[in-house]
Amino acid sequence: MLTTVHTPVGQPATAGRFCNTGYGPSLMPLDIGHPDWMAILGPETAFWSLVRRERLADALADPELLLESYRERRPEFQAEMDQLRFGLQPSAVYFNATDRCNLDCTYCYIPGDLRRHGAHMSGDQLLQALARLKEYFATSMGETTRKPRIIFHGAEPLLNRAAIFPGIDAFHDDFQFGIQTNSTLLDAEAIDFLTTRAVSIGLSLDGPEAAVTDRTRTAWNGDSVHAAVLRSLERLADYPALSVITTVTTANLDRLLPLVDLLHEMKVPACLLNPVRCTLPGARTVKPDDRALATALIAALERTHVLYRASGRKLIVANYANILLAILAPTARRLMCDISPCGGGRAFFAVAASGDLFPCSEFIGLEAFRGGNLFQDGIANALQSAPFKLVTGRDVERFAPCNTCAIRHYCGSPCPAEAHEMNGAMERTGAFCALYEELVRHAFRVIADGREGDFLWEGWDAGTTTLFAL
Amino acid sequence: MQPELKKPEESKKVDTSKPVRAVRKSCTADGVGLSHYILMDRKAK
Ligand SMILES: C[S@@+](CC[C@H](N)C(=O)[O-])C[C@H]1O[C@@H](n2cnc3c(N)ncnc32)[C@H](O)[C@@H]1O
Repeated sequence: MLTTVHTPVGQPATAGRFCNTGYGPSLMPLDIGHPDWMAILGPETAFWSLVRRERLADALADPELLLESYRERRPEFQAEMDQLRFGLQPSAVYFNATDRCNLDCTYCYIPGDLRRHGAHMSGDQLLQALARLKEYFATSMGETTRKPRIIFHGAEPLLNRAAIFPGIDAFHDDFQFGIQTNSTLLDAEAIDFLTTRAVSIGLSLDGPEAAVTDRTRTAWNGDSVHAAVLRSLERLADYPALSVITTVTTANLDRLLPLVDLLHEMKVPACLLNPVRCTLPGARTVKPDDRALATALIAALERTHVLYRASGRKLIVANYANILLAILAPTARRLMCDISPCGGGRAFFAVAASGDLFPCSEFIGLEAFRGGNLFQDGIANALQSAPFKLVTGRDVERFAPCNTCAIRHYCGSPCPAEAHEMNGAMERTGAFCALYEELVRHAFRVIADGREGDFLWEGWDAGTTTLFAL
Repeated sequence: MQPELKKPEESKKVDTSKPVRAVRKSCTADGVGLSHYILMDRKAK
């Protein structure tokens, strides 16, 4: 749904001279919990401003302080958001070369049966699949110097390295590759192969010590994998395209500070501290309380800041950095979960080992969201399929409470899979709401204090232009 | 090798005399990350 406001013919030039009535833009004050500053937001366009608390009334009443300049630029901001929310073409694929995994994590969004007995793509099929994807992207992405991305994901991709590694070599000119792995099979040879080909590598670790990691991430027989991850982190210590995912649950909520210390000490440049997605029932058994999660995550963020100030080296928490970006430069965001519609089925899609196509990996266990098969139906058909449309049609402008929420385009109300499975419908919120309220408020406080650069990677704004500045 | 660490710069000075502050930057949208994978766009060497 495009939300552009057109001033009808015959309206007086004064239409829109007030905020919050008639053709005037909505400008909503938001208490960000800062002693000196409040925010005033234009929710539809993701517009923000910070106003000294004692000048809040003036900022809303005196058109020269804010309203006039915003009104002038609003169509441009709206067009930018419309393009970001509805105008993108896929340029990445989350590729499961196997549906099997050698671990049995409590919360995994891939059903246990699939992880035990699922398909394994053959080397030939994988090459054929990459050829089809190359062909598709050549038309869908048009003229661009940007390469489409293939991320080998899973289940556990390295269980099928015999198929994946030749694929990376055969298509290294065509795609930018990444891999997300539990690290148990990441031996020295695999590290050498991947790092010499500049493949970005994501590892998963849930705790600062084995006792914590073992609560949620172990082999099927209960064996610990914690030490294997630490070994890989040591070997990859200077690799700039390394990252770590921590899934935050009741099992590690109180251990995030030592975990952040460990990741920083091991020179990990970036991590995700992800709230557990509650799409499948197993995940809900370790779901933290919304507010407790917010408090723990904010403490962990502030810990990364202390470590940076002390050492000069950053550990970027990418899911938080993305919220800062969503505020400062909406089109520069890297993660596409916290925008609505989300990136699933429009910025990227997922391929299962059978070639089945899903809007996102999160849907791989949900047959109803299968949009077709890469080999039989083709990609363009899948993107237009009813299951994909269900996901790409989920828009925070259309359901409560998100449609009146001032921060809806910083949060995006993730995740459709979770909303559908846990809360019973697409047009509901996901598992966490307070978390995003608190993270966005924290982000505004950080901006108010001029600390945003400390939480973002160097050069985050290279390639951006300043559209607006007050 | 890890480059020499430089001391972090002072956080940006905020102009507290202004009643209203706002910034919006823009670029071509090309984010494709999801919560189960980080895309930091940091080029491996
Ligand atoms: C499904 S795994 C696949 C790749 C590989 N096996 C690994 O462990 O990194 C990808 C990431 O998703 C995370 N994950 C799995 N289920 C999740 C859930 N319900 N919520 C949040 N993250 C989840 C895992 O912890 C892991 O970091």
